[in-house]
Amino acid sequence: MAINSNSQVFLFLSQILGKKIVDSEGRPLGKVLDLVANVADSYPPITSVLYLPAGGKKPKRFPLAKVLEFRGPVVVSSFGPQDQSEGILREGELLLKESLLDKQIVDTHGAKILRVNDLNLLQAKGNLYLVHVDVGFRGLMRRVGVEKAADKFFQWFFDYHLADHFIPWMFVQPLSSPDLLRLKVAQSRLSLLHPADLADIIEELDIHKRSEVFQSLDVETAAEALEETDPKIQVRLIENLNPAKASDIIEEMSPSEAADLLGDLPKEKAEGILKEMEKEIAEDVKELLVHPEEKAGGLMTTAFPSLPPDATAREALDLLRREAENLDFIYYIYITDEEEHLLGVISLRDLLMAAPQTRLSDMMDPRIVSVRLEEEKEKIADIFAKYGFKSIPVVDETNRIKGAITFKSLLEVVAPELGK
Amino acid sequence: MRPALGDKISRKGLWKTLGIFFALIGPGIITSNVDNDAGGITTYSLAGSEYGLALLWTLIPITFALIIIQEMCARMGVVSGKGLSDLIRERFGAKATFYLMIALFLTNLGNTISEFAGVAASLVIFGVSKYLSVPISAFFVWWLVVKGSYKSVEKAFLVACLFYISYIISGFLAGPDWGQIRTEFFTPTLRFEPGFLTMAVGVVGTTIAPWMQFYLQSSVVDKGLKAEDYQYARMDVIFGSVIVNVVAFFIVMLCAVTIFQAGIKIETAKDAALALAPLAGKYCTWLFSFGLMNASLFAASILPLSTAYTICEAFGWESSVNRKFAEAPQFYGLYSLMIFLGAGVILFPNVPLIPIMFYSQVINGSLLPFILIFMLILVNDRKIMGGYTNGWTLNLVSLSTILLLIFLSGAMIWTALV
Repeated sequence: MAINSNSQVFLFLSQILGKKIVDSEGRPLGKVLDLVANVADSYPPITSVLYLPAGGKKPKRFPLAKVLEFRGPVVVSSFGPQDQSEGILREGELLLKESLLDKQIVDTHGAKILRVNDLNLLQAKGNLYLVHVDVGFRGLMRRVGVEKAADKFFQWFFDYHLADHFIPWMFVQPLSSPDLLRLKVAQSRLSLLHPADLADIIEELDIHKRSEVFQSLDVETAAEALEETDPKIQVRLIENLNPAKASDIIEEMSPSEAADLLGDLPKEKAEGILKEMEKEIAEDVKELLVHPEEKAGGLMTTAFPSLPPDATAREALDLLRREAENLDFIYYIYITDEEEHLLGVISLRDLLMAAPQTRLSDMMDPRIVSVRLEEEKEKIADIFAKYGFKSIPVVDETNRIKGAITFKSLLEVVAPELGK
Repeated sequence: MRPALGDKISRKGLWKTLGIFFALIGPGIITSNVDNDAGGITTYSLAGSEYGLALLWTLIPITFALIIIQEMCARMGVVSGKGLSDLIRERFGAKATFYLMIALFLTNLGNTISEFAGVAASLVIFGVSKYLSVPISAFFVWWLVVKGSYKSVEKAFLVACLFYISYIISGFLAGPDWGQIRTEFFTPTLRFEPGFLTMAVGVVGTTIAPWMQFYLQSSVVDKGLKAEDYQYARMDVIFGSVIVNVVAFFIVMLCAVTIFQAGIKIETAKDAALALAPLAGKYCTWLFSFGLMNASLFAASILPLSTAYTICEAFGWESSVNRKFAEAPQFYGLYSLMIFLGAGVILFPNVPLIPIMFYSQVINGSLLPFILIFMLILVNDRKIMGGYTNGWTLNLVSLSTILLLIFLSGAMIWTALV
């Protein structure tokens, strides 16, 4: 594109598709079918043009560098057979129309699934780049061929200036094929989303795309998103995985969420996954599995901090620092004897204010509010409301601690009944 | 189709199969029953009261056509996991989709108007003014969807399906001669006179409507059926298609043995209901009008909802009953607009109801061929359907069904406009 080497021009894919291709003397060569872009770059350059040769049936491609002019008919400098190749894609390449136009994408900035109406390309320094995805009404009108008329109508009738609605390519996650989801750049994009938003998006997708998207996520993101997903869909997603991959993801989840999920799976599948899991985590989860889901035993997690009474404040802080990543909460440390009898509780606030050498037995609060394994969720909700704790310990008949319920897990079972 | 789909039932116990069936049914039965809406009931009553039992046999081929077309939709829904408008948009592009959606909106708006006309007509028989019944029912319909969840809405709809039984009861109330009905049902008669043919086309046209394909496929997708569950979706579709025609059978039959034999001329479903009182008793009239109200209300809830869903899906706008108004403005906007216009038109004094119903059937008929052709292309696309494309026999059968329907739709438009 030697002619426009200094100017910057925006073009739309819809304006290029279907155009006639002529050589510099005006002889027809064929028409544009699609553009090939290299999506490994953050602003994907268009590398070649897929076209249907005049009188031919098989699409062929030629390098974009051969194009002299895009406005009007596409003018190309003369090329011989050596410049053309079959329309096969190479690694990292993408056909714009085939995989993006009219397809669904995720806007990772706005956390929404949208449909692509058009693609916005930037022509600069002799190259053509994919810069924006057009998801707006104006783009739709352009595709229908009434962009100008729609502009005028909205101005005249509503006194409204119809603006473009673009999403920068860097916030776009294409969904149309599993290959696209596996692209390196793409993968990091979905993990940019908040797990709860990602879970919403997964729920909104159709059953096939749901699994494709889920399986493209790295283990940690997948676990975080899975925790926020509707239980029925959780089961579907895990059922489609092999036990090894499933166990990797479930290990990353909090034990109580993992137990809820495994409890919903068919028995054989759940056992298969438990076998693949790390021994220690599997034991924890199995322990939780025996309790009914809506009672204290089913709501609690086993990943809570606890220490003996003769430990010091410094040791307690060290424990938190070391284990925080694997614990479901860190706001309280429960103090237990060797037989795990619950003796007292210390809050993180007290711990931060205490002198490092203080023994926990000297600073713990022995007035403990705890619930039994079989306590109903309504009663637990009352206790949370009354005392304002962030978590409540769960004990057996002999006052031995079995786990703790976080406010969050209680909210998850109570929330559906709120506001009704 | 792969044989693996069919031979699963035998391996499971009968009760287990029935259990799964009842958990997975819904889409097909609901779709088919909505199909017996105000327009449908009017057409069937007219067919029965003007031509007696002569058109009864057409219900047999109609049932088959309905099954063939709906089965393709259900299969596409299960296999692709996508709605029909989604598939059309991805396969045929923005332009075709845009015009198709405009046509669908207008068609369904016309249908919605006739549903509210049905509500008004049926309640007038019980002495309720349309200025009261139409606004209340419009609000009820709007409230049901905006405030309800998909589960509760579906349950309400399945209950509404049960009320169609009122037509079957009123059919028995008339005390028909079953021997004669059996003979007429199994002997096809065709009279080459314009009125008869138009009526035949009308019966076909009202039973196979464009919106149904979109609604059925979306609800199959919403149910999240997997390819392994496809057999149940197919049973659901077959069951629903048979039921719809059983109800149609009773309406045609009832009007044939009463109104036709008495030689009374009627123009609407309301006329039919009123004419029944002296011939078959006032309970028969009541049941008939109750059925009409139920059917109209039922269809009035589904048509605007289905339209809003379909259009939003095609254009990638947020569409979910579980979102707030501000989160899905296009969805709720379209939905509310259809109810507002649909009910609003009926409230005008002296609104020409019969032409409105008639022309909405004509637009239905002209849109249907396009949608059927799109469907046939999609269901044969290996990229979308993988191993579940039509076999050549099924293609032959569906192609001839579609050609026949196109011919009939063309004939209907021709007779409407000439």
